[in-house]
Amino acid sequence: MDIKDFIAPFAVWKRAFEKPFTVKKPIDERPGAPRYRGFHINDADKCVGCGTCEAICMNRAIDLVPVEGRDAKEGDSGLRPRVDYGRCCWCALCVDICPSGSLNMSNEYVWIDSDPDVFRYTPGVEPKPWDGSALGYRRAEGYRLLDGTRVPMPELDHHEAVKSFLELVRGWSREQAEKEADRCVSCGLCIASCPAHMEIPGYIKAVRDGDLETGLRLLYQTNPFPEACGRICTHRCEEACSIGTDGDPVAIRWLKRYIADQVELADYSKALPRKEASSGKRVAIVGAGPGGLSAAYYLALLGHEVTVHEKDEAAGGMLRYGIPEYRLPYPALDKDIGYIESLGVKIERGAPVGEGRSLASLRERFDAVFLSTGLPAAYGLDVPGEKHPRVLDGVAVLAAATRGQVLGLGARVAVVGGGNVAMDAARTALRNGASVDILYRRREEDMPADPDEIREAKAEGARLVEKAIPLEVKDAGGKARFVWNEATMVQKEAGKRPVPEPIPGAIHEEIYDSVISAIGQGPELSYIAEADGVEIRRFKPVVDRDGLATAAGKAPVFAGGDLVNDRKDAISAIADGHRAASAIDRLLSGKGA
Amino acid sequence: MNELAKELAARYGARDWHDRRGDLSSTVVDPIRLHDTLAWLKDSAGYAHLSFATAVDNIERGVFTLTYTVRNHEQGHSLMVHADVDRANPVVDSIHLLWGQGWTYQREMKEWFGIDFPGSPRVDEEFVLEGWEGPPMMRRDFDSLAYSDATYEGRPGRVTHDPATRMQERLYPEAGK
Repeated sequence: MDIKDFIAPFAVWKRAFEKPFTVKKPIDERPGAPRYRGFHINDADKCVGCGTCEAICMNRAIDLVPVEGRDAKEGDSGLRPRVDYGRCCWCALCVDICPSGSLNMSNEYVWIDSDPDVFRYTPGVEPKPWDGSALGYRRAEGYRLLDGTRVPMPELDHHEAVKSFLELVRGWSREQAEKEADRCVSCGLCIASCPAHMEIPGYIKAVRDGDLETGLRLLYQTNPFPEACGRICTHRCEEACSIGTDGDPVAIRWLKRYIADQVELADYSKALPRKEASSGKRVAIVGAGPGGLSAAYYLALLGHEVTVHEKDEAAGGMLRYGIPEYRLPYPALDKDIGYIESLGVKIERGAPVGEGRSLASLRERFDAVFLSTGLPAAYGLDVPGEKHPRVLDGVAVLAAATRGQVLGLGARVAVVGGGNVAMDAARTALRNGASVDILYRRREEDMPADPDEIREAKAEGARLVEKAIPLEVKDAGGKARFVWNEATMVQKEAGKRPVPEPIPGAIHEEIYDSVISAIGQGPELSYIAEADGVEIRRFKPVVDRDGLATAAGKAPVFAGGDLVNDRKDAISAIADGHRAASAIDRLLSGKGA
Repeated sequence: MNELAKELAARYGARDWHDRRGDLSSTVVDPIRLHDTLAWLKDSAGYAHLSFATAVDNIERGVFTLTYTVRNHEQGHSLMVHADVDRANPVVDSIHLLWGQGWTYQREMKEWFGIDFPGSPRVDEEFVLEGWEGPPMMRRDFDSLAYSDATYEGRPGRVTHDPATRMQERLYPEAGK
C-alpha cells in the first residue's frame, strides 16, 4: 500500500474553507419574464361571469362555478371561472378574449404540492400568493379578439330629420347586420334583463347564419312586436351585454329590427308556428296596445277565440298614439298588428269598454278577460293657471299628430317634463316649425327619458332648461306666461337621489304660444265597477304573479301592461300579456295553475 | 439592399422583397430553390450566420411557410427567406451541411409540423415531446381538446354552469323555459 492512499482522504480538507462550486439548496429565485404566462389572476368584481373564457378554451380547462357571496344579478351571472391546471396549456386565449379584461395571468409559475387536486382554483376568489401581481401576461395594448366598436347605424342628419316625420334610423344592410351579429359572444347575460326574456343569443346567431326565418321564429316565441320593439324598445338587454363592459354593447335592438324588416309579412306564416285546434273558449281583451295584443297573439296561437276591445279608431295603443312616426313608422307597427290579426284575432276598433259595454257584461259573455288599458290620462301641471287654454297635454298632442290633425302649437313652445313623452312632444313641436324649450325640475342626468332621445332632441335644436320648478301659468294676451323657480339640487337622504329645492327669489318667466305638460300619466279606471271585484290599490288593479286580478264570480279577470307594472315600457307590457295568456290558457284548459 | 434583391431575383427567382426594418428584410423563393438560395447567401453574400428557422401553418392556403433568418454581421443586416411548401407533401431539402445547427431546427419542425428533411441527422427522433403519439401538434387542424379527451382522464368532480341558465334559476325561476 502506498503512502498516498493514507494521505489522500485528508488532502481534500485543504478545500474545506473555499467557496464551493456546487449550488446551494433551495436554488436562487428565478422569476418569470415580465410577460410570462403564469397562474391566472382575475378581478372578481370586474368579471361578469359571461363564460367567454370557458368557451374559447381549447382544452376545456375552465369551468364556471358559483361563488360564495356573489349571486346572479342583472348583467352578472354570479359565476366565476375556475381553472384546471391539469388541462391548461397556458395559451392565454382566455386572457385575450375576456370581454371585461378582468382575467389576466401572473408571471408566477412555481407551485409545488403533493396533492394533484389542489391545482384547480377560482382566481380572484380563492386567495393565492400571486394575486394582484403587476407582472405577467396582459392583453397587448390595441390587441383585441373581440370588436369593441358597434357598426354605425345610418341616421338622417339632424337638420334634415327635423324637417319631416321621416324615420330617423335607416336600418342596416345584410353586411352591416352580420358584422354586428359577429360581435356577440352568445353568453346570454342579456336574457335575464329583458322583461320578456327573449332568446337573444339565438336570434343574433340566426342573423350571423343568415337564417332569418329561424330568427323570426325565436322573436315570436316571446314577443309578437318585433318591428316595434326593434325600433323603440328600452333595450335593457344592452345594459347587461358583456361586450359593453369594455366597449359598445351589441346593438341587440337593431338586430331584432333587421330580422323583422327582412322577412315579408306574407312569409311570416312559413316561419312561425301554426295555431292549435280551436278550444271553443272565448277571451275578451280590453285595450289593443302591446300588452293586450301580445296576450291576444299567444291566446289565439293556443286555439282560443280572442276579441280585443279598443277605444281608439286604430290599434297599437301608445305605440301608435304616443310614439311619433319618425321613431316608429305606422307601416312597421301595422305589420306586427297585421300578423296578429291574421291568426283570427278580432279587434273591435272604436269600441270603448264602459257604459253600454261594461266589464261585467264581458265577464258574462267571455270565458276570461284581460285588461291592459295603460295610462291614458295625463297629469296636470298642478300649478295655478294650469287650465289656461294654451296649456296642452303631451299625450294628446302626440295623439293629434298621429291622427294628422293640425296642431297649431305656435312659434314658441315650452315642454314641461323629462320623460320620453316630453322628448317626443318636443321633437314633434320642432317638426312643426316651433322653437322649443324643455323645462325639467331636476338635472339632465336625472331625466327618465332614454339618453338617445335626450341627445337627439338637443341635436335637433331643443333648448334644455334644467332645475326649473313650475310655479304658475298666467295669461299674456292669449299666450301663456310660464313662471318657474330655479332650483338647486339638495342631497336630503343618503342613498336617495337629490331633491330640487327652489332658490328663493330666482324666479324666471317666458311667454310661450303653447305649454305642453308631459310630467306623467295615470290610469283610466272608471270602467271597473266595485261590483267587478277587482281590487284597486294606489290606482292600480292588484294582481298576482300571473296577472290574475279576480277569479271570483263570472269569468276571471287578468290585468297587465302599464296599467299594472312599474316599468311602464312596451316590452314589459308584452311580457305581461304573454304571462297572462299562459295563465288564462292553463285556467281554461283545466291544466291547473 | 436593392442590389441583393435584384441578384436574388435573377439567380433564384426571389420575389416580394420587403424592408421590414432598417436591419431586416424578407423575400420569398420557391421551395426547390431554397437550399441553393441559402448556400449562395452564405458563401457569396456574407449572410454567414443562421439565426433562426421555423415554419407557420397557413392551412387556408394549403401550405407550410418555412422561414429561415440569416444574418450578415458585417453589414448588420438580417434577411428572412420564406418558402411555401405543399401541406399535403411537406418535404424540404436539408440545410445541415450549410449550418451545423440546422439539423436541430429541422428535427423540431419534423416533430411539430411533420415537415420532412431527408438526410438530416436524427430527424425522426423525439425533440421535446417525449412519448408523443398524436399528430404533429403545431398543425392548425390538430384538435387539442379531442386529443386531451382521448389521451388523458378527466379530473373527477369537475362541473360547470351555463350563465344564462344560472341567471334564470336565480333571477326568474318562474319562467319555466
